[in-house]
Amino acid sequence: MLPRGIRRFFRIELDPRRVTRAIDDELRFHFDMSVRHYMSRGMSEADAQREAERRFGNVERTRSRLESIDRSRAEHVRRVEWWGGLLQDLRYALRGLRAAPSFTLVVILALALGIGANATMFGIIDRLLLRPPPFLADASHTNLVYLGRRFDGVESLSPNISYTRYVELTKYTTSFSETAAFFSFDLAVGTGEETAERRVGLVSASFWHLFDAPPALGRYFGPSEDHTPEGATVAVLGYSYWQTRYGGRADVLGKSISLGRRTYTIVGVAPRGFVGLDPIGAVAFVPITTGVVDIFGGGLADVSKWYTTHNMSWMEMFVRRKPGVSPEAAGADLTNAYRRSYLAQEKHAPIDIARPRAVVGSVLRERGPNQGTNSKVATWLVGVSLIVLIIACANVANLLLARAFRRRREIAVRVALGVSRGRLLVQLLTESMVLALLGAAAGLVVAQWGGTILRTAMLPDVEWPSLLADSRMLIFTGVAALGVGVLTGLAPALLARRTDVSAALKAGAREGTYHHSKTRTALLVIQGALSVLLLVGTGLFVRSLRQVHALDFGYDTPHILYVSIEMRGLKVDSLAGVALHRDLVERARSIPGVQDASLTVAVPFWMSWSNDLFTQARDSIHGDYLFNTVSPSYFATMGTRIVRGRGFTEADRDGAPPVLVISQSMARKLFPKTDALGQCIRVGADTVPCSTVIGVSADIVDRNLTDPPGLEYYAPAAQHGDGANGLFVRTRGDASEMTATVRRELQRVMPGVSYVVVTPLEKILEPNVRPWRLGATMFALFGGLALLLAAVGLYSVIAYNVTQRSHELGVRIALGAQGRDVLRLVVGSGLRIAVAGVAIGGGIALVAGRFIAPLLYRVSPKDPLIYVVAAVTLLGVAVLASLVPAMRATRVDPNVALRAD
Amino acid sequence: MDLDLLQGTLDLLILKTLTWGPMHGYAVARWIGDTTDDDLQIEEGALYTALHRMEKRGWIDSEWGLSENNRKAKYYELTAAGRKQLRSQTDVFTRYARAVFKVLQVA
Repeated sequence: MLPRGIRRFFRIELDPRRVTRAIDDELRFHFDMSVRHYMSRGMSEADAQREAERRFGNVERTRSRLESIDRSRAEHVRRVEWWGGLLQDLRYALRGLRAAPSFTLVVILALALGIGANATMFGIIDRLLLRPPPFLADASHTNLVYLGRRFDGVESLSPNISYTRYVELTKYTTSFSETAAFFSFDLAVGTGEETAERRVGLVSASFWHLFDAPPALGRYFGPSEDHTPEGATVAVLGYSYWQTRYGGRADVLGKSISLGRRTYTIVGVAPRGFVGLDPIGAVAFVPITTGVVDIFGGGLADVSKWYTTHNMSWMEMFVRRKPGVSPEAAGADLTNAYRRSYLAQEKHAPIDIARPRAVVGSVLRERGPNQGTNSKVATWLVGVSLIVLIIACANVANLLLARAFRRRREIAVRVALGVSRGRLLVQLLTESMVLALLGAAAGLVVAQWGGTILRTAMLPDVEWPSLLADSRMLIFTGVAALGVGVLTGLAPALLARRTDVSAALKAGAREGTYHHSKTRTALLVIQGALSVLLLVGTGLFVRSLRQVHALDFGYDTPHILYVSIEMRGLKVDSLAGVALHRDLVERARSIPGVQDASLTVAVPFWMSWSNDLFTQARDSIHGDYLFNTVSPSYFATMGTRIVRGRGFTEADRDGAPPVLVISQSMARKLFPKTDALGQCIRVGADTVPCSTVIGVSADIVDRNLTDPPGLEYYAPAAQHGDGANGLFVRTRGDASEMTATVRRELQRVMPGVSYVVVTPLEKILEPNVRPWRLGATMFALFGGLALLLAAVGLYSVIAYNVTQRSHELGVRIALGAQGRDVLRLVVGSGLRIAVAGVAIGGGIALVAGRFIAPLLYRVSPKDPLIYVVAAVTLLGVAVLASLVPAMRATRVDPNVALRAD
Repeated sequence: MDLDLLQGTLDLLILKTLTWGPMHGYAVARWIGDTTDDDLQIEEGALYTALHRMEKRGWIDSEWGLSENNRKAKYYELTAAGRKQLRSQTDVFTRYARAVFKVLQVA
């Protein structure tokens, strides 16, 4: 018998073609032997042949059976060997990594940061732009409707639509299998002390048909409960509110819940995770025709107005297209319907000027025509996080390269021993793959814990499930890890292919290496360039944020609370209203820590009021003049300066001569040539008595940070029927700490079911500052990360080069080079890389700056100071990173260095 | 004898034959033929099918070697699993044959 060990070389049937040949060989041998056997018994050759065939049976059938058996066996063996090989490579890679723990740790950390940053950004982008809302049925055919109209030749597209229009568009179109209306609003929920403003979803009965979400309990409401003039007071609870408020009990059905002004009967509970189209989960969903009364009821002169007029565009419409109807066809159908509805409406601009048009957009608002700043910033941050990942990859590739250099003799030995290059490649790739997967696992941890900060910063009101339970996140991270594994493994693998066996075996440690580090230098330059890019980005956003903070809003944001007065349908006569307002102001002033308080109608960024104005200079004044009626203490409360003249006093009461304070910009605009003080302005109509301008106040920022300040004018509340709906309260310390106290104290003054909501002004302003704060924070975070990675990369390469050049350095020192010269030599090599990085990165930043300019605030994307700071930072880091190995280089002992090898 | 051999019986015969040492397919066929004086008249195609199937199951192993007359031949050899299979199948077959005999003797 053959020796056991050589079996492998003979087992050649693994190739399908060889399987057939082996069977042929085996059968031919059999027949040759059989024929010979029968001939030896005296048969003729022909007889022997016949006998052999008779004994064998059907040859062809047997052959095909054997083939199928052997094929499936070959397949099986191949699979086993493949897995075995992989296992072996894996074990080899793990052993190698365990032997170099600090290397492994640095690599995993770098990849964890890179992959973690990307996983976090993916989660946000997925939520904003990719993932359809949960439970949405047939998401690819579901759209939001946007209506466009032209004003002054400029088209504005808006998702807001009136109920009347919604009904008509539904009636006039044929493209849709379902249309629904919805609106989200914060309403007072609950009674007594637990009353709080919470999100309530107003939806049409058809809304539920667009989702594939059977209720967790009870039922949804139907068309018989959702109709004009007023639907039924029934409510479907949101799952988490049901859990937290009602403990998930089944007996909530039939119970009542206070929403807005009225009491609703609970008929069902939406399934877990159901939010409709609003990322903020509602505590309850009510018929839109019922809830509308709670929203507008008090404000409408004619209660039926909301379903008879076309001009109240408050809700949104979403639709499901019939199969085969393209979005374009649906848009055309809608546009026709819209034009028909437009022509029928009571008051409208000529249709050829307004050019009404309708389009269907994504159900994800951020993907529709009106993309918000958040998703724009998020898209940028995706780019930034990708850059961090590229830097991490370059770094890891660099470290792996250094490792491959160090191991090239080992590799050469393996090649010499007959390990095929292909296998070697697979082994090296396995190592980088293992590192990438470990990095990805650590990256998920980074994304889970570290990403929370970012997620709450970007989408503060959205509830985030655990990332580890999110299959999309896991798939993304897995794919990212594979990409990283291939990318980082490529360089060392290519190097291994080039390894010249005999040269590597013959050479000492010092030869054949130094010139190879060109690749590594290039990788370092890339890292440096990208770091500069991110540093410039950081600079631009930090400066933007500082500009925002330095901006004079015209009031003392940190010290002001806004108190909104919610009467909740409670009717009080005007005298009682005035008394209540006076009580509120008095009570607020009496709270320790409160400095002052004032009534108000307008709230910066939230609420503004305008009115017709008339002066002697001009007949009628159009434009955005914003009106506010306030207490005499208003300017002191807000910290808004009176620039000229005086503010209001208690003497400016009802019956006293009417007075006004106007803002500086308004004064300049209305009275460019004359003094504004003492001028006469008529408010509301040109027949009312003159209001005299008695003061000019500082401008305030009230709508957005980028436009010029609004044109504001103020009148005493007492002279304008006291329409106040809120108070500003000035605190001595940080306003947000006083929120609870002020709410509790003021609530005591409120009669019956009415209540107050207290919000720090800071919080009202926050969404307007957020894009810059976010950009600054994220760029700083990612930029710091990039810098750290670049520093580690630079350090490792220079340190490595120093050890590789110790022979050369030894010679230099032996020939009389001073420590200073060696220092300059080594640090110089690090600096050269950094300078190249600065040049390239700065160039890219100059080009990219143009695109980021719209996101900046009063900062030029070419601000030279920012570029200088970024350059100096990178150069400084480069010096620091090369100083440590340089110090080591000066200590090279020529005796040792020259004798080595 | 035109006996429609049960699959298991053929496997059993081959495994038993291979206990004498590695053999190529032709030798297995000859051995069974000679030992039974050709009473069983086994179709040799079925024999090869059985050999390959048992190889796939891991009862026997194969390798190429040189035959007595210096030709390349595929040799089959029992594996440990094959030996185990032979032992258990021998028991089963003996019990089966004994039972059949009992019935035949009563009749």
